[in-house]
Amino acid sequence: MKMLSEVVASLSHLPGVVVAMVVGAIDGLIVETSGMKGGTGEHDPRKHTAALAAYLYSKAIRAADAARLGTPAFMRLEAEQGHICVVGARDVVLVTIVTPDANLGRVRIDMMNAARSDL
Amino acid sequence: MTDPTVAEAWVAAPLRRLMDDARLISGVMLYPTGRAVGQFGFSNAADVMSICALTSAINASARELGRQLDGKPFYETHHAGADRQVFMARCIAGGQEFLFVGVFDRESSLGVVEIYFAEFQKALEKLRPEAQTTGKGPSGDFEGELNRSLDALFGPIGKR
Repeated sequence: MKMLSEVVASLSHLPGVVVAMVVGAIDGLIVETSGMKGGTGEHDPRKHTAALAAYLYSKAIRAADAARLGTPAFMRLEAEQGHICVVGARDVVLVTIVTPDANLGRVRIDMMNAARSDL
Repeated sequence: MTDPTVAEAWVAAPLRRLMDDARLISGVMLYPTGRAVGQFGFSNAADVMSICALTSAINASARELGRQLDGKPFYETHHAGADRQVFMARCIAGGQEFLFVGVFDRESSLGVVEIYFAEFQKALEKLRPEAQTTGKGPSGDFEGELNRSLDALFGPIGKR
Protein backbone atom coordinates (compact mmCIF):
# COMPACT_ATOMS: atom_id res chain seq x y z
CA MET A 1 0.00 0.00 0.00
CA LYS A 2 1.37 3.41 -1.00
CA MET A 3 1.34 6.54 1.11
CA LEU A 4 -1.50 8.86 0.15
CA SER A 5 1.02 11.49 -0.93
CA GLU A 6 2.53 8.95 -3.35
CA VAL A 7 -0.91 8.14 -4.78
CA VAL A 8 -1.74 11.77 -5.55
CA ALA A 9 1.80 12.46 -6.81
CA SER A 10 1.63 9.48 -9.15
CA LEU A 11 -1.78 10.50 -10.55
CA SER A 12 -0.83 14.15 -10.87
CA HIS A 13 2.12 13.22 -13.09
CA LEU A 14 -0.19 11.73 -15.73
CA PRO A 15 -0.45 13.93 -18.82
CA GLY A 16 -3.49 16.20 -18.59
CA VAL A 17 -4.13 15.76 -14.86
CA VAL A 18 -4.29 19.24 -13.35
CA VAL A 19 -4.73 18.11 -9.77
CA ALA A 20 -5.27 14.82 -7.92
CA MET A 21 -6.84 14.59 -4.48
CA VAL A 22 -7.84 12.03 -1.87
CA VAL A 23 -11.07 13.27 -0.27
CA GLY A 24 -13.14 12.04 2.66
CA ALA A 25 -16.18 10.25 1.20
CA ILE A 26 -18.50 11.36 3.99
CA ASP A 27 -17.24 14.81 4.97
CA GLY A 28 -15.93 15.93 1.56
CA LEU A 29 -12.76 17.34 3.11
CA ILE A 30 -9.36 17.02 1.42
CA VAL A 31 -7.15 14.34 2.98
CA GLU A 32 -4.24 14.69 0.55
CA THR A 33 -3.77 16.78 -2.57
CA SER A 34 -1.19 17.44 -5.24
CA GLY A 35 -0.27 20.97 -6.22
CA MET A 36 -2.29 22.64 -8.97
CA LYS A 37 -0.49 22.57 -12.31
CA GLY A 38 -0.29 26.13 -13.55
CA GLY A 39 -0.85 27.52 -10.03
CA THR A 40 -4.10 28.21 -8.24
CA GLY A 41 -4.47 31.85 -9.32
CA GLU A 42 -6.73 34.06 -7.20
CA HIS A 43 -9.17 31.31 -6.30
CA ASP A 44 -7.98 27.82 -5.39
CA PRO A 45 -10.68 25.48 -6.75
CA ARG A 46 -9.54 22.40 -4.85
CA LYS A 47 -11.62 22.71 -1.68
CA HIS A 48 -14.85 23.41 -3.58
CA THR A 49 -14.17 20.69 -6.15
CA ALA A 50 -13.34 18.13 -3.46
CA ALA A 51 -16.47 18.79 -1.39
CA LEU A 52 -18.84 18.90 -4.37
CA ALA A 53 -17.29 15.92 -6.19
CA ALA A 54 -17.56 13.76 -3.05
CA TYR A 55 -21.16 14.92 -2.64
CA LEU A 56 -21.94 14.20 -6.28
CA TYR A 57 -20.36 10.76 -6.03
CA SER A 58 -22.54 9.94 -3.00
CA LYS A 59 -25.59 10.79 -5.13
CA ALA A 60 -24.22 8.70 -8.01
CA ILE A 61 -24.01 5.74 -5.64
CA ARG A 62 -27.70 6.20 -4.78
CA ALA A 63 -28.66 6.59 -8.44
CA ALA A 64 -26.78 3.43 -9.40
CA ASP A 65 -28.39 1.60 -6.50
CA ALA A 66 -31.85 2.84 -7.51
CA ALA A 67 -31.22 1.59 -11.04
CA ARG A 68 -30.02 -1.74 -9.60
CA LEU A 69 -26.60 -1.33 -11.18
CA GLY A 70 -24.51 -1.94 -8.10
CA THR A 71 -21.66 0.26 -6.94
CA PRO A 72 -20.34 2.84 -9.42
CA ALA A 73 -16.83 2.01 -10.61
CA PHE A 74 -15.88 5.34 -12.13
CA MET A 75 -17.59 8.72 -12.49
CA ARG A 76 -16.60 11.32 -15.08
CA LEU A 77 -18.15 14.75 -15.39
CA GLU A 78 -17.44 16.32 -18.76
CA ALA A 79 -17.45 20.12 -18.83
CA GLU A 80 -16.52 22.74 -21.44
CA GLN A 81 -12.92 23.05 -20.29
CA GLY A 82 -12.15 19.63 -18.90
CA HIS A 83 -13.31 16.74 -16.78
CA ILE A 84 -13.72 15.80 -13.14
CA CYS A 85 -13.05 12.11 -12.51
CA VAL A 86 -14.02 10.35 -9.29
CA VAL A 87 -13.41 6.82 -8.03
CA GLY A 88 -14.57 5.53 -4.65
CA ALA A 89 -12.29 3.58 -2.32
CA ARG A 90 -14.08 2.71 0.93
CA ASP A 91 -13.88 5.78 3.22
CA VAL A 92 -12.32 8.07 0.64
CA VAL A 93 -12.80 9.08 -2.98
CA LEU A 94 -10.07 9.84 -5.50
CA VAL A 95 -10.76 13.04 -7.42
CA THR A 96 -8.88 14.42 -10.42
CA ILE A 97 -9.38 17.52 -12.51
CA VAL A 98 -8.33 16.72 -16.07
CA THR A 99 -7.81 18.80 -19.22
CA PRO A 100 -9.94 18.08 -22.33
CA ASP A 101 -6.98 16.66 -24.24
CA ALA A 102 -5.89 14.20 -21.54
CA ASN A 103 -5.67 10.47 -22.12
CA LEU A 104 -8.84 9.62 -20.22
CA GLY A 105 -8.35 5.89 -20.61
CA ARG A 106 -5.00 6.05 -18.84
CA VAL A 107 -6.40 8.34 -16.13
CA ARG A 108 -9.30 5.95 -15.59
CA ILE A 109 -7.12 2.84 -15.31
CA ASP A 110 -4.61 4.47 -12.98
CA MET A 111 -7.33 5.89 -10.74
CA MET A 112 -9.12 2.54 -10.53
CA ASN A 113 -5.88 0.69 -9.83
CA ALA A 114 -4.98 3.17 -7.12
CA ALA A 115 -8.43 2.81 -5.55
CA ARG A 116 -8.23 -0.98 -5.70
CA SER A 117 -4.71 -1.55 -4.41
CA ASP A 118 -3.21 1.63 -2.98
CA LEU A 119 -5.96 3.02 -0.72
CA MET B 1 -38.48 23.23 3.75
CA THR B 2 -39.99 26.46 5.05
CA ASP B 3 -38.60 29.93 4.40
CA PRO B 4 -36.41 31.47 7.09
CA THR B 5 -38.15 33.75 9.58
CA VAL B 6 -36.08 36.79 10.45
CA ALA B 7 -36.04 39.53 13.05
CA GLU B 8 -33.92 41.69 10.72
CA ALA B 9 -34.88 41.71 7.05
CA TRP B 10 -31.39 42.18 5.59
CA VAL B 11 -30.41 38.62 6.49
CA ALA B 12 -33.37 36.82 4.87
CA ALA B 13 -31.92 36.36 1.37
CA PRO B 14 -28.42 35.14 2.35
CA LEU B 15 -29.91 32.85 5.00
CA ARG B 16 -32.31 31.35 2.46
CA ARG B 17 -29.46 30.73 0.03
CA LEU B 18 -27.29 29.10 2.69
CA MET B 19 -30.18 26.86 3.72
CA ASP B 20 -30.80 25.75 0.12
CA ASP B 21 -27.20 25.41 -1.07
CA ALA B 22 -25.81 23.63 1.99
CA ARG B 23 -28.95 21.51 2.38
CA LEU B 24 -29.28 22.38 6.03
CA ILE B 25 -32.15 20.94 8.05
CA SER B 26 -32.28 23.84 10.48
CA GLY B 27 -30.22 26.84 11.47
CA VAL B 28 -30.16 29.96 13.60
CA MET B 29 -28.21 33.18 13.14
CA LEU B 30 -27.73 35.19 16.29
CA TYR B 31 -25.76 37.90 18.00
CA PRO B 32 -22.98 36.60 20.30
CA THR B 33 -25.18 37.82 23.18
CA GLY B 34 -27.77 35.20 22.24
CA ARG B 35 -30.32 37.43 20.49
CA ALA B 36 -31.72 35.66 17.42
CA VAL B 37 -31.55 37.40 14.03
CA GLY B 38 -33.09 34.70 11.86
CA GLN B 39 -33.90 31.01 11.83
CA PHE B 40 -35.19 28.21 9.65
CA GLY B 41 -36.36 24.70 10.40
CA PHE B 42 -37.89 25.48 13.79
CA SER B 43 -41.54 26.04 14.63
CA ASN B 44 -41.11 26.37 18.36
CA ALA B 45 -39.76 29.54 20.02
CA ALA B 46 -38.57 27.53 23.04
CA ASP B 47 -36.26 25.46 20.81
CA VAL B 48 -34.73 28.59 19.29
CA MET B 49 -34.37 30.12 22.76
CA SER B 50 -32.45 27.04 23.97
CA ILE B 51 -30.27 26.96 20.87
CA CYS B 52 -29.42 30.65 21.14
CA ALA B 53 -28.47 30.34 24.80
CA LEU B 54 -26.41 27.19 24.21
CA THR B 55 -24.70 28.50 21.06
CA SER B 56 -23.77 31.71 22.82
CA ALA B 57 -22.30 29.74 25.71
CA ILE B 58 -20.53 27.20 23.47
CA ASN B 59 -19.03 30.01 21.41
CA ALA B 60 -17.67 31.73 24.51
CA SER B 61 -16.28 28.44 25.82
CA ALA B 62 -14.74 27.46 22.47
CA ARG B 63 -13.01 30.81 22.16
CA GLU B 64 -11.52 30.56 25.61
CA LEU B 65 -10.55 26.93 25.01
CA GLY B 66 -8.79 27.99 21.80
CA ARG B 67 -6.93 30.73 23.64
CA GLN B 68 -5.82 28.27 26.31
CA LEU B 69 -4.80 25.49 23.92
CA ASP B 70 -3.70 27.25 20.77
CA GLY B 71 -3.11 30.87 21.76
CA LYS B 72 -6.00 32.05 19.57
CA PRO B 73 -9.80 31.62 19.73
CA PHE B 74 -11.57 28.75 18.01
CA TYR B 75 -14.16 30.32 15.71
CA GLU B 76 -15.56 27.19 14.07
CA THR B 77 -16.98 24.10 15.74
CA HIS B 78 -18.26 20.87 14.26
CA HIS B 79 -19.89 17.98 16.03
CA ALA B 80 -20.74 14.78 14.15
CA GLY B 81 -23.57 12.84 15.73
CA ALA B 82 -24.79 9.43 14.66
CA ASP B 83 -27.39 10.82 12.25
CA ARG B 84 -27.13 14.58 12.40
CA GLN B 85 -24.22 16.98 12.56
CA VAL B 86 -23.89 20.47 14.01
CA PHE B 87 -21.79 23.25 12.51
CA MET B 88 -21.16 26.52 14.38
CA ALA B 89 -19.15 29.48 13.14
CA ARG B 90 -19.02 33.23 13.24
CA CYS B 91 -19.72 35.74 10.48
CA ILE B 92 -19.37 39.49 10.26
CA ALA B 93 -21.66 42.06 8.68
CA GLY B 94 -20.97 45.78 8.80
CA GLY B 95 -18.33 45.29 11.50
CA GLN B 96 -20.84 43.51 13.75
CA GLU B 97 -20.12 39.93 14.69
CA PHE B 98 -22.80 37.23 14.46
CA LEU B 99 -22.90 33.51 15.17
CA PHE B 100 -24.49 30.82 13.06
CA VAL B 101 -25.43 27.30 14.03
CA GLY B 102 -26.69 24.82 11.44
CA VAL B 103 -27.80 21.19 11.50
CA PHE B 104 -27.36 18.79 8.60
CA ASP B 105 -27.54 15.08 7.92
CA ARG B 106 -26.25 12.68 5.25
CA GLU B 107 -27.95 14.74 2.55
CA SER B 108 -25.07 17.18 2.97
CA SER B 109 -21.49 17.03 4.25
CA LEU B 110 -19.13 19.15 6.32
CA GLY B 111 -17.18 20.09 3.20
CA VAL B 112 -20.32 21.28 1.41
CA VAL B 113 -21.51 23.22 4.47
CA GLU B 114 -18.09 24.86 4.85
CA ILE B 115 -17.90 26.08 1.26
CA TYR B 116 -21.42 27.51 1.25
CA PHE B 117 -20.92 29.05 4.67
CA ALA B 118 -17.83 30.80 3.27
CA GLU B 119 -20.06 32.21 0.50
CA PHE B 120 -22.61 33.23 3.13
CA GLN B 121 -19.85 35.06 5.05
CA LYS B 122 -18.81 36.90 1.89
CA ALA B 123 -22.43 37.85 1.13
CA LEU B 124 -22.88 39.23 4.65
CA GLU B 125 -19.68 41.27 4.47
CA LYS B 126 -21.25 43.29 1.66
CA LEU B 127 -24.34 44.12 3.74
CA ARG B 128 -24.75 47.00 6.15
CA PRO B 129 -27.01 45.80 8.95
CA GLU B 130 -26.12 48.58 11.40
CA ALA B 131 -28.50 51.01 9.72
CA GLN B 132 -31.38 48.67 10.56
CA THR B 133 -30.21 47.70 14.04
CA THR B 134 -29.55 51.11 15.55
CA GLY B 135 -30.30 51.09 19.23
CA LYS B 136 -30.32 47.30 19.46
CA GLY B 137 -26.81 46.75 20.71
CA PRO B 138 -26.08 44.43 23.65
CA SER B 139 -27.68 45.87 26.77
CA GLY B 140 -26.66 43.23 29.29
CA ASP B 141 -30.32 42.18 29.51
CA PHE B 142 -29.78 38.72 28.04
CA GLU B 143 -33.26 37.37 28.73
CA GLY B 144 -35.02 40.52 27.57
CA GLU B 145 -33.05 40.65 24.30
CA LEU B 146 -33.68 36.99 23.64
CA ASN B 147 -37.41 37.33 24.27
CA ARG B 148 -37.68 40.37 22.01
CA SER B 149 -35.93 38.55 19.18
CA LEU B 150 -38.17 35.48 19.65
CA ASP B 151 -41.23 37.75 19.54
CA ALA B 152 -39.95 39.08 16.23
CA LEU B 153 -39.45 35.56 14.85
CA PHE B 154 -42.53 33.77 16.15
CA GLY B 155 -44.87 36.55 17.31
CA PRO B 156 -45.62 37.59 20.89
CA ILE B 157 -46.28 34.90 23.50
CA GLY B 158 -49.93 33.89 23.36
CA LYS B 159 -50.09 34.47 19.61
CA ARG B 160 -47.42 31.87 18.66
